[in-house]
Amino acid sequence: MFGFGKTVNVKIEKDLHARLVKIADVAGYATVDEFITQILEKEMLHFEDVKGDGDIRNKLKGLGYIS
Amino acid sequence: MSLLTDLLGMKPAPQGEPIVLVSGLPRSGTSMMMKMIEAGGIKVMEDGVRTPDIDNPKGYYEYERVKNLEKETDKSYLREARGKVIKIISFLLKDLPPDNDYRIIFMRRDLDEVLASQNKMLKHRNETDTSDDNAMREAYLNHIASVRIMSRKRQNWQTIEVRYEDTVKNPAATAATLNAFLGGKLNEKSMVAAVDAELYRNRKDKLK
Repeated sequence: MFGFGKTVNVKIEKDLHARLVKIADVAGYATVDEFITQILEKEMLHFEDVKGDGDIRNKLKGLGYIS
Repeated sequence: MSLLTDLLGMKPAPQGEPIVLVSGLPRSGTSMMMKMIEAGGIKVMEDGVRTPDIDNPKGYYEYERVKNLEKETDKSYLREARGKVIKIISFLLKDLPPDNDYRIIFMRRDLDEVLASQNKMLKHRNETDTSDDNAMREAYLNHIASVRIMSRKRQNWQTIEVRYEDTVKNPAATAATLNAFLGGKLNEKSMVAAVDAELYRNRKDKLK
């Protein structure tokens, strides 16, 4: 249940869109938009400068939120 | 869970009453949300170990044991939270046991405000912090993306995102949204009254 943020339009080829719609349906996504968003978010993790969990873990320990 | 079940979106059998779980980064409004849900009529699972302080004058609503979710293997105690609300920070969502159904309220707040508030809290706790805010911001962004991906994959999770700023500005709208999400039996008027805008102290427009 997402979709609270603002959205923009992105153009992709019709054929690709049609294939994504089919897969999104089979895979149980509510909409093809949700499916595409998930794919993009997942891919972004590979390209962005992913800092290890260690940074977050240290901060959260200092704040007293994890043991 | 089999690949087929996963692909077809088939949900597993219900596992008792769902656990209402308030989550998010620390300082994103999770305590305020706990207070709202409690006011709405859902019992809180907390132990009162962490007492109110300057950072959370109205209390933390925490259950100490969940802070060890990463390391502890026996997580059966969480079943006691069925039908109740419990606070678990988003970093520990990955460690939730699969034998419960979860209704997760994922608090979101401007990350500059979150970091400013966290840094103040670290000072109050006399903790040394060498982290760089820009690096932490990126790490948190990636963390949030990973939680959203997890949320879509886990069949026993239903997740809603709630913005802290929006809730302070318009608590009635958030109360109505949450009531619909949690079954429609909450007392929205009490939920609205539980929101104290005075506690919205680290506002982006007032940060350096």
